[in-house]
Amino acid sequence: MEALSLLQWLIDGLIGIGLLWLAWRALFCPELFKAIVLFIAFGLLMTLAWVRLKAPDVALAEVAIGAGLTGALLLSSWAKLRGFDANKGMGAREKNSEQAEQKTKRPFFHGLYAIPLLLMAVGLGYGVLQLTPYATGLSAVVAENLDASGVSNPVTAVLLNFRAYDTLLEIAVLLLALIGIWSLGIRPSVREATPDPVLDLLTRFLTPLLLLVSAYLLWVGAHAPGGAFQAGSVLGAAGVLLILAGWRLPLSLAGLPLRITLVAGVSTFIVVAVLTMLGGAQLLAFPPSQASLIIFVLEITATLSIAAILAALFLGSRPDHSEKI
Amino acid sequence: METFYLALVFFLLLNLGAGMWRVLQGPTAADRMMAAQLFGTTSVAVLLLLGQVEGDSALHDVALVFALLAAVTAVAFVRRAWSEPEKEHDSK
Repeated sequence: MEALSLLQWLIDGLIGIGLLWLAWRALFCPELFKAIVLFIAFGLLMTLAWVRLKAPDVALAEVAIGAGLTGALLLSSWAKLRGFDANKGMGAREKNSEQAEQKTKRPFFHGLYAIPLLLMAVGLGYGVLQLTPYATGLSAVVAENLDASGVSNPVTAVLLNFRAYDTLLEIAVLLLALIGIWSLGIRPSVREATPDPVLDLLTRFLTPLLLLVSAYLLWVGAHAPGGAFQAGSVLGAAGVLLILAGWRLPLSLAGLPLRITLVAGVSTFIVVAVLTMLGGAQLLAFPPSQASLIIFVLEITATLSIAAILAALFLGSRPDHSEKI
Repeated sequence: METFYLALVFFLLLNLGAGMWRVLQGPTAADRMMAAQLFGTTSVAVLLLLGQVEGDSALHDVALVFALLAAVTAVAFVRRAWSEPEKEHDSK
Protein backbone atom coordinates (compact mmCIF):
# COMPACT_ATOMS: atom_id res chain seq x y z
CA MET A 1 0.00 0.00 0.00
CA GLU A 2 2.89 2.30 0.82
CA ALA A 3 4.47 1.75 -2.57
CA LEU A 4 1.14 2.68 -4.15
CA SER A 5 0.86 6.05 -2.42
CA LEU A 6 4.53 6.77 -3.06
CA LEU A 7 3.99 6.09 -6.78
CA GLN A 8 0.93 8.33 -6.89
CA TRP A 9 2.88 11.05 -5.14
CA LEU A 10 5.75 10.68 -7.63
CA ILE A 11 3.38 10.81 -10.63
CA ASP A 12 1.58 13.91 -9.37
CA GLY A 13 4.87 15.60 -8.54
CA LEU A 14 6.27 14.83 -11.98
CA ILE A 15 3.16 16.22 -13.69
CA GLY A 16 3.20 19.36 -11.52
CA ILE A 17 6.87 20.11 -12.07
CA GLY A 18 6.55 19.34 -15.79
CA LEU A 19 3.62 21.75 -16.11
CA LEU A 20 5.42 24.61 -14.38
CA TRP A 21 8.56 24.02 -16.38
CA LEU A 22 6.72 23.82 -19.73
CA ALA A 23 4.71 26.96 -18.93
CA TRP A 24 7.86 28.86 -18.02
CA ARG A 25 9.72 27.72 -21.16
CA ALA A 26 6.72 28.45 -23.41
CA LEU A 27 6.34 31.99 -22.03
CA PHE A 28 10.01 32.95 -22.18
CA CYS A 29 10.98 31.23 -25.42
CA PRO A 30 12.15 33.73 -28.04
CA GLU A 31 11.47 31.35 -30.94
CA LEU A 32 7.78 31.38 -31.81
CA PHE A 33 7.65 27.86 -33.24
CA LYS A 34 9.35 26.36 -30.22
CA ALA A 35 6.92 28.21 -27.96
CA ILE A 36 3.96 26.78 -29.92
CA VAL A 37 5.22 23.20 -29.61
CA LEU A 38 5.86 23.78 -25.89
CA PHE A 39 2.31 25.09 -25.56
CA ILE A 40 0.89 21.98 -27.28
CA ALA A 41 2.92 19.79 -24.92
CA PHE A 42 1.65 21.89 -22.00
CA GLY A 43 -1.96 21.26 -23.08
CA LEU A 44 -1.35 17.50 -23.24
CA LEU A 45 0.22 17.41 -19.78
CA MET A 46 -2.58 19.64 -18.44
CA THR A 47 -5.05 16.96 -19.55
CA LEU A 48 -3.21 14.40 -17.46
CA ALA A 49 -3.27 16.82 -14.52
CA TRP A 50 -7.08 17.17 -14.80
CA VAL A 51 -7.39 13.38 -14.94
CA ARG A 52 -5.32 13.09 -11.76
CA LEU A 53 -7.57 15.71 -10.15
CA LYS A 54 -10.54 13.41 -10.95
CA ALA A 55 -12.13 15.88 -13.37
CA PRO A 56 -12.54 13.85 -16.59
CA ASP A 57 -15.03 16.43 -17.95
CA VAL A 58 -12.45 19.19 -17.85
CA ALA A 59 -9.81 16.80 -19.20
CA LEU A 60 -12.00 16.03 -22.21
CA ALA A 61 -12.61 19.74 -22.87
CA GLU A 62 -8.90 20.49 -22.48
CA VAL A 63 -7.87 17.79 -24.94
CA ALA A 64 -10.59 18.67 -27.45
CA ILE A 65 -10.08 22.42 -27.48
CA GLY A 66 -6.75 23.13 -25.79
CA ALA A 67 -4.53 20.42 -27.16
CA GLY A 68 -6.29 19.56 -30.40
CA LEU A 69 -7.58 22.59 -32.26
CA THR A 70 -5.50 25.31 -30.62
CA GLY A 71 -2.35 23.54 -31.79
CA ALA A 72 -3.56 23.44 -35.39
CA LEU A 73 -4.71 27.10 -35.19
CA LEU A 74 -1.40 28.30 -33.74
CA LEU A 75 0.67 26.34 -36.28
CA SER A 76 -1.38 27.76 -39.13
CA SER A 77 -1.05 31.31 -37.78
CA TRP A 78 2.68 30.82 -37.41
CA ALA A 79 2.94 29.73 -41.04
CA LYS A 80 0.99 32.83 -42.12
CA LEU A 81 3.19 35.13 -39.99
CA ARG A 82 6.29 33.56 -41.49
CA GLY A 83 5.04 34.19 -45.01
CA PHE A 84 4.26 37.77 -44.00
CA ASP A 85 7.76 38.28 -42.62
CA ALA A 86 9.35 36.84 -45.77
CA ASN A 87 7.37 39.27 -47.92
CA LYS A 88 8.28 42.21 -45.73
CA GLY A 89 11.92 41.15 -45.45
CA MET A 90 12.98 44.15 -47.56
CA GLY A 91 11.51 46.60 -45.10
CA ALA A 92 13.51 45.25 -42.19
CA ARG A 93 15.37 48.49 -41.81
CA GLU A 94 12.19 50.52 -41.50
CA LYS A 95 10.98 48.06 -38.92
CA ASN A 96 14.11 48.60 -36.87
CA SER A 97 13.67 52.34 -36.84
CA GLU A 98 10.01 51.89 -35.91
CA GLN A 99 11.01 49.66 -33.06
CA ALA A 100 13.49 52.24 -31.85
CA GLU A 101 10.72 54.83 -31.94
CA GLN A 102 8.48 52.55 -29.94
CA LYS A 103 11.20 52.04 -27.37
CA THR A 104 11.33 55.75 -26.59
CA LYS A 105 7.56 55.80 -26.05
CA ARG A 106 7.51 52.70 -23.90
CA PRO A 107 8.00 53.99 -20.33
CA PHE A 108 4.95 56.24 -20.65
CA PHE A 109 2.71 53.42 -21.87
CA HIS A 110 4.03 51.06 -19.23
CA GLY A 111 2.77 53.50 -16.64
CA LEU A 112 -0.67 53.50 -18.26
CA TYR A 113 -0.88 49.69 -18.23
CA ALA A 114 -0.21 49.69 -14.51
CA ILE A 115 -3.40 51.62 -13.65
CA PRO A 116 -6.02 49.10 -14.88
CA LEU A 117 -3.86 46.21 -13.67
CA LEU A 118 -3.67 47.74 -10.21
CA LEU A 119 -7.42 48.39 -10.19
CA MET A 120 -8.07 44.79 -11.21
CA ALA A 121 -5.73 43.48 -8.51
CA VAL A 122 -7.49 45.60 -5.88
CA GLY A 123 -10.91 44.43 -7.09
CA LEU A 124 -9.89 40.77 -7.13
CA GLY A 125 -8.26 41.06 -3.71
CA TYR A 126 -11.39 42.66 -2.31
CA GLY A 127 -13.51 39.89 -3.83
CA VAL A 128 -11.31 37.16 -2.36
CA LEU A 129 -11.38 38.76 1.10
CA GLN A 130 -15.20 38.95 0.95
CA LEU A 131 -15.49 35.17 0.45
CA THR A 132 -16.61 33.07 3.36
CA PRO A 133 -13.60 31.17 4.70
CA TYR A 134 -15.27 27.76 4.62
CA ALA A 135 -17.61 27.20 1.69
CA THR A 136 -19.41 23.90 1.32
CA GLY A 137 -19.67 24.19 -2.45
CA LEU A 138 -22.74 23.66 -4.57
CA SER A 139 -22.32 19.98 -5.44
CA ALA A 140 -24.92 18.94 -2.85
CA VAL A 141 -27.46 21.39 -4.34
CA VAL A 142 -26.73 20.06 -7.84
CA ALA A 143 -27.10 16.44 -6.70
CA GLU A 144 -30.42 17.28 -5.04
CA ASN A 145 -31.88 18.86 -8.17
CA LEU A 146 -30.34 16.48 -10.69
CA ASP A 147 -33.67 14.71 -11.27
CA ALA A 148 -35.27 17.95 -12.45
CA SER A 149 -32.47 18.78 -14.90
CA GLY A 150 -33.34 16.24 -17.59
CA VAL A 151 -29.83 14.72 -17.69
CA SER A 152 -27.91 12.48 -15.30
CA ASN A 153 -24.41 13.95 -15.74
CA PRO A 154 -24.05 16.73 -13.13
CA VAL A 155 -21.60 18.71 -15.29
CA THR A 156 -24.02 18.78 -18.25
CA ALA A 157 -26.86 19.62 -15.86
CA VAL A 158 -24.96 22.67 -14.62
CA LEU A 159 -23.72 23.80 -18.05
CA LEU A 160 -26.98 23.41 -19.96
CA ASN A 161 -29.69 23.80 -17.35
CA PHE A 162 -28.78 25.42 -14.04
CA ARG A 163 -26.30 27.86 -15.55
CA ALA A 164 -27.28 27.66 -19.21
CA TYR A 165 -26.56 31.36 -19.71
CA ASP A 166 -22.85 30.57 -19.21
CA THR A 167 -22.94 28.30 -22.23
CA LEU A 168 -24.97 30.87 -24.17
CA LEU A 169 -22.33 33.52 -23.52
CA GLU A 170 -19.47 31.12 -24.33
CA ILE A 171 -20.91 30.40 -27.76
CA ALA A 172 -21.48 34.13 -28.23
CA VAL A 173 -17.80 34.78 -27.44
CA LEU A 174 -16.75 32.23 -30.09
CA LEU A 175 -19.06 33.87 -32.63
CA LEU A 176 -17.72 37.34 -31.76
CA ALA A 177 -14.14 36.12 -32.25
CA LEU A 178 -15.07 34.87 -35.72
CA ILE A 179 -16.84 38.14 -36.59
CA GLY A 180 -13.72 40.01 -35.48
CA ILE A 181 -11.54 37.91 -37.78
CA TRP A 182 -13.97 38.16 -40.70
CA SER A 183 -14.07 41.95 -40.38
CA LEU A 184 -10.35 41.98 -41.21
CA GLY A 185 -11.04 41.08 -44.82
CA ILE A 186 -11.77 38.47 -47.42
CA ARG A 187 -9.57 35.43 -47.69
CA PRO A 188 -6.99 35.78 -50.43
CA SER A 189 -7.19 32.84 -52.78
CA VAL A 190 -4.23 30.72 -51.74
CA ARG A 191 -3.15 27.98 -54.07
CA GLU A 192 -2.24 24.93 -52.10
CA ALA A 193 -0.41 21.92 -53.36
CA THR A 194 -2.71 19.00 -54.07
CA PRO A 195 -2.67 16.53 -51.19
CA ASP A 196 -0.37 13.59 -51.53
CA PRO A 197 -1.90 10.07 -51.54
CA VAL A 198 -1.07 9.50 -47.88
CA LEU A 199 -2.97 12.57 -46.69
CA ASP A 200 -5.79 11.72 -49.06
CA LEU A 201 -6.10 8.24 -47.59
CA LEU A 202 -5.78 9.51 -44.01
CA THR A 203 -8.55 12.05 -44.59
CA ARG A 204 -10.81 9.36 -46.03
CA PHE A 205 -10.26 7.14 -42.99
CA LEU A 206 -10.24 9.81 -40.32
CA THR A 207 -13.17 12.02 -41.31
CA PRO A 208 -15.90 9.38 -40.79
CA LEU A 209 -14.25 8.43 -37.48
CA LEU A 210 -14.24 12.05 -36.32
CA LEU A 211 -17.91 12.38 -37.27
CA LEU A 212 -18.76 9.19 -35.36
CA VAL A 213 -16.82 10.23 -32.24
CA SER A 214 -18.40 13.68 -32.35
CA ALA A 215 -21.90 12.19 -32.43
CA TYR A 216 -20.91 9.79 -29.64
CA LEU A 217 -19.62 12.61 -27.41
CA LEU A 218 -22.81 14.59 -28.01
CA TRP A 219 -24.95 11.60 -27.07
CA VAL A 220 -22.91 10.44 -24.08
CA GLY A 221 -22.89 13.98 -22.60
CA ALA A 222 -26.30 13.35 -21.04
CA HIS A 223 -24.93 10.82 -18.56
CA ALA A 224 -21.11 10.87 -18.73
CA PRO A 225 -18.31 13.31 -19.61
CA GLY A 226 -18.99 14.72 -23.05
CA GLY A 227 -21.25 17.38 -24.45
CA ALA A 228 -21.66 20.11 -27.02
CA PHE A 229 -18.27 21.81 -26.78
CA GLN A 230 -16.29 18.59 -26.98
CA ALA A 231 -18.45 17.19 -29.77
CA GLY A 232 -18.28 20.53 -31.59
CA SER A 233 -14.52 20.72 -31.47
CA VAL A 234 -14.12 17.13 -32.70
CA LEU A 235 -16.51 17.93 -35.55
CA GLY A 236 -14.57 21.16 -36.12
CA ALA A 237 -11.38 19.10 -36.29
CA ALA A 238 -12.96 17.08 -39.10
CA GLY A 239 -13.54 20.41 -40.89
CA VAL A 240 -9.94 21.47 -40.28
CA LEU A 241 -8.68 18.16 -41.66
CA LEU A 242 -10.80 18.59 -44.79
CA ILE A 243 -9.55 22.17 -45.21
CA LEU A 244 -5.96 20.97 -44.85
CA ALA A 245 -6.56 18.28 -47.46
CA GLY A 246 -7.60 20.97 -49.92
CA TRP A 247 -11.37 20.61 -49.69
CA ARG A 248 -13.37 23.83 -49.85
CA LEU A 249 -16.99 24.54 -49.07
CA PRO A 250 -18.98 24.61 -52.31
CA LEU A 251 -19.63 28.21 -53.31
CA SER A 252 -23.38 27.71 -53.12
CA LEU A 253 -23.03 26.87 -49.40
CA ALA A 254 -20.41 29.48 -48.48
CA GLY A 255 -22.91 32.31 -48.27
CA LEU A 256 -26.18 32.22 -46.39
CA PRO A 257 -26.20 28.49 -45.44
CA LEU A 258 -22.79 28.85 -43.73
CA ARG A 259 -23.89 31.96 -41.87
CA ILE A 260 -27.09 30.30 -40.67
CA THR A 261 -25.04 27.37 -39.32
CA LEU A 262 -22.67 29.79 -37.58
CA VAL A 263 -25.42 31.61 -35.68
CA ALA A 264 -27.75 28.60 -35.16
CA GLY A 265 -26.37 27.82 -31.69
CA VAL A 266 -26.69 31.32 -30.29
CA SER A 267 -30.06 31.99 -31.90
CA THR A 268 -31.60 28.72 -30.68
CA PHE A 269 -30.41 29.61 -27.18
CA ILE A 270 -31.95 33.08 -27.42
CA VAL A 271 -35.25 31.72 -28.78
CA VAL A 272 -35.43 29.22 -25.90
CA ALA A 273 -34.57 31.99 -23.41
CA VAL A 274 -37.36 34.22 -24.75
CA LEU A 275 -39.84 31.33 -24.77
CA THR A 276 -39.07 30.39 -21.15
CA MET A 277 -39.50 34.03 -20.09
CA LEU A 278 -42.78 34.30 -22.01
CA GLY A 279 -43.91 31.17 -20.20
CA GLY A 280 -43.56 33.04 -16.93
CA ALA A 281 -40.38 31.31 -15.78
CA GLN A 282 -36.95 32.81 -15.31
CA LEU A 283 -34.40 33.17 -18.10
CA LEU A 284 -33.51 29.67 -19.38
CA ALA A 285 -35.34 27.91 -16.53
CA PHE A 286 -36.60 24.80 -18.30
CA PRO A 287 -39.73 22.98 -17.12
CA PRO A 288 -38.48 19.64 -15.74
CA SER A 289 -40.80 17.59 -17.96
CA GLN A 290 -39.33 18.99 -21.18
CA ALA A 291 -35.80 19.77 -19.94
CA SER A 292 -34.31 16.66 -21.51
CA LEU A 293 -35.66 17.49 -24.98
CA ILE A 294 -34.72 21.19 -24.74
CA ILE A 295 -31.16 20.34 -23.71
CA PHE A 296 -30.86 17.86 -26.56
CA VAL A 297 -31.99 20.43 -29.16
CA LEU A 298 -29.71 23.09 -27.67
CA GLU A 299 -26.75 20.70 -27.70
CA ILE A 300 -27.26 19.65 -31.31
CA THR A 301 -27.44 23.21 -32.65
CA ALA A 302 -24.59 24.31 -30.38
CA THR A 303 -22.41 21.43 -31.63
CA LEU A 304 -23.04 22.32 -35.28
CA SER A 305 -22.38 26.03 -34.66
CA ILE A 306 -19.23 25.44 -32.62
CA ALA A 307 -17.87 23.09 -35.28
CA ALA A 308 -18.60 25.57 -38.07
CA ILE A 309 -17.13 28.48 -36.09
CA LEU A 310 -13.94 26.57 -35.22
CA ALA A 311 -13.41 25.42 -38.80
CA ALA A 312 -14.06 28.98 -40.03
CA LEU A 313 -11.58 30.31 -37.46
CA PHE A 314 -9.00 27.94 -38.87
CA LEU A 315 -9.69 29.10 -42.41
CA GLY A 316 -8.71 32.55 -41.20
CA SER A 317 -10.80 35.04 -43.05
CA ARG A 318 -14.19 35.25 -44.67
CA PRO A 319 -14.64 32.76 -47.52
CA ASP A 320 -15.19 34.73 -50.66
CA HIS A 321 -18.49 33.67 -52.20
CA SER A 322 -19.33 36.80 -54.17
CA GLU A 323 -16.48 36.47 -56.66
CA LYS A 324 -16.57 34.62 -59.93
CA ILE A 325 -17.89 31.11 -59.87
CA MET B 1 -1.82 -4.87 -10.31
CA GLU B 2 -2.57 -1.24 -9.54
CA THR B 3 1.00 -0.72 -8.41
CA PHE B 4 2.24 -2.21 -11.66
CA TYR B 5 0.00 0.09 -13.74
CA LEU B 6 1.08 3.15 -11.79
CA ALA B 7 4.73 2.16 -12.13
CA LEU B 8 4.18 2.00 -15.89
CA VAL B 9 2.54 5.46 -15.80
CA PHE B 10 5.57 6.79 -13.93
CA PHE B 11 7.92 5.25 -16.47
CA LEU B 12 5.94 6.80 -19.35
CA LEU B 13 6.02 10.20 -17.67
CA LEU B 14 9.80 9.91 -17.43
CA ASN B 15 9.74 9.28 -21.20
CA LEU B 16 7.83 12.53 -21.57
CA GLY B 17 10.70 14.25 -19.78
CA ALA B 18 13.03 12.93 -22.47
CA GLY B 19 10.56 14.22 -25.06
CA MET B 20 10.64 17.68 -23.48
CA TRP B 21 14.39 17.71 -23.89
CA ARG B 22 13.95 17.00 -27.62
CA VAL B 23 11.38 19.80 -27.93
CA LEU B 24 13.90 22.25 -26.51
CA GLN B 25 17.00 20.91 -28.27
CA GLY B 26 15.61 19.52 -31.53
CA PRO B 27 17.55 21.28 -34.25
CA THR B 28 14.71 21.25 -36.81
CA ALA B 29 11.03 22.09 -36.55
CA ALA B 30 10.19 18.49 -37.47
CA ASP B 31 12.16 17.20 -34.46
CA ARG B 32 10.19 19.41 -32.10
CA MET B 33 6.88 18.44 -33.68
CA MET B 34 7.70 14.73 -33.54
CA ALA B 35 8.45 15.15 -29.84
CA ALA B 36 5.05 16.78 -29.37
CA GLN B 37 3.49 13.81 -31.17
CA LEU B 38 5.38 11.51 -28.78
CA PHE B 39 3.72 13.48 -25.98
CA GLY B 40 0.37 12.70 -27.56
CA THR B 41 0.98 8.97 -28.03
CA THR B 42 2.47 8.54 -24.56
CA SER B 43 -0.40 10.46 -23.00
CA VAL B 44 -2.88 8.09 -24.66
CA ALA B 45 -1.11 5.18 -22.99
CA VAL B 46 -1.03 7.02 -19.65
CA LEU B 47 -4.75 7.80 -19.91
CA LEU B 48 -5.65 4.17 -20.68
CA LEU B 49 -3.55 2.96 -17.73
CA LEU B 50 -5.08 5.54 -15.38
CA GLY B 51 -8.53 4.59 -16.67
CA GLN B 52 -7.75 0.99 -15.71
CA VAL B 53 -6.49 1.99 -12.26
CA GLU B 54 -9.43 4.24 -11.46
CA GLY B 55 -12.02 2.10 -13.23
CA ASP B 56 -13.34 5.18 -15.00
CA SER B 57 -14.40 4.42 -18.57
CA ALA B 58 -14.67 8.16 -19.34
CA LEU B 59 -10.87 8.21 -19.52
CA HIS B 60 -11.06 5.85 -22.52
CA ASP B 61 -13.11 8.53 -24.29
CA VAL B 62 -10.50 11.14 -23.42
CA ALA B 63 -7.79 8.86 -24.85
CA LEU B 64 -9.84 8.31 -28.00
CA VAL B 65 -10.27 12.06 -28.62
CA PHE B 66 -6.58 12.53 -27.81
CA ALA B 67 -5.50 10.02 -30.46
CA LEU B 68 -7.81 11.47 -33.12
CA LEU B 69 -6.88 15.12 -32.60
CA ALA B 70 -3.14 14.49 -32.38
CA ALA B 71 -3.34 13.26 -35.98
CA VAL B 72 -5.04 16.51 -37.03
CA THR B 73 -2.29 18.58 -35.36
CA ALA B 74 0.34 16.55 -37.19
CA VAL B 75 -1.41 17.13 -40.53
CA ALA B 76 -1.67 20.87 -39.78
CA PHE B 77 2.06 20.96 -39.15
CA VAL B 78 3.00 19.09 -42.30
CA ARG B 79 0.63 21.05 -44.56
CA ARG B 80 1.08 24.54 -43.19
CA ALA B 81 4.24 24.94 -41.18
CA TRP B 82 6.75 22.55 -42.67
CA SER B 83 8.40 22.85 -46.04
CA GLU B 84 11.20 20.70 -47.35
CA PRO B 85 14.25 22.77 -48.22
CA GLU B 86 14.26 21.70 -51.87
CA LYS B 87 10.60 22.59 -52.32
CA GLU B 88 11.14 26.09 -50.94
CA HIS B 89 12.36 27.26 -54.34
CA ASP B 90 9.66 26.03 -56.65
CA SER B 91 6.69 27.27 -54.64
CA LYS B 92 4.38 29.25 -56.88
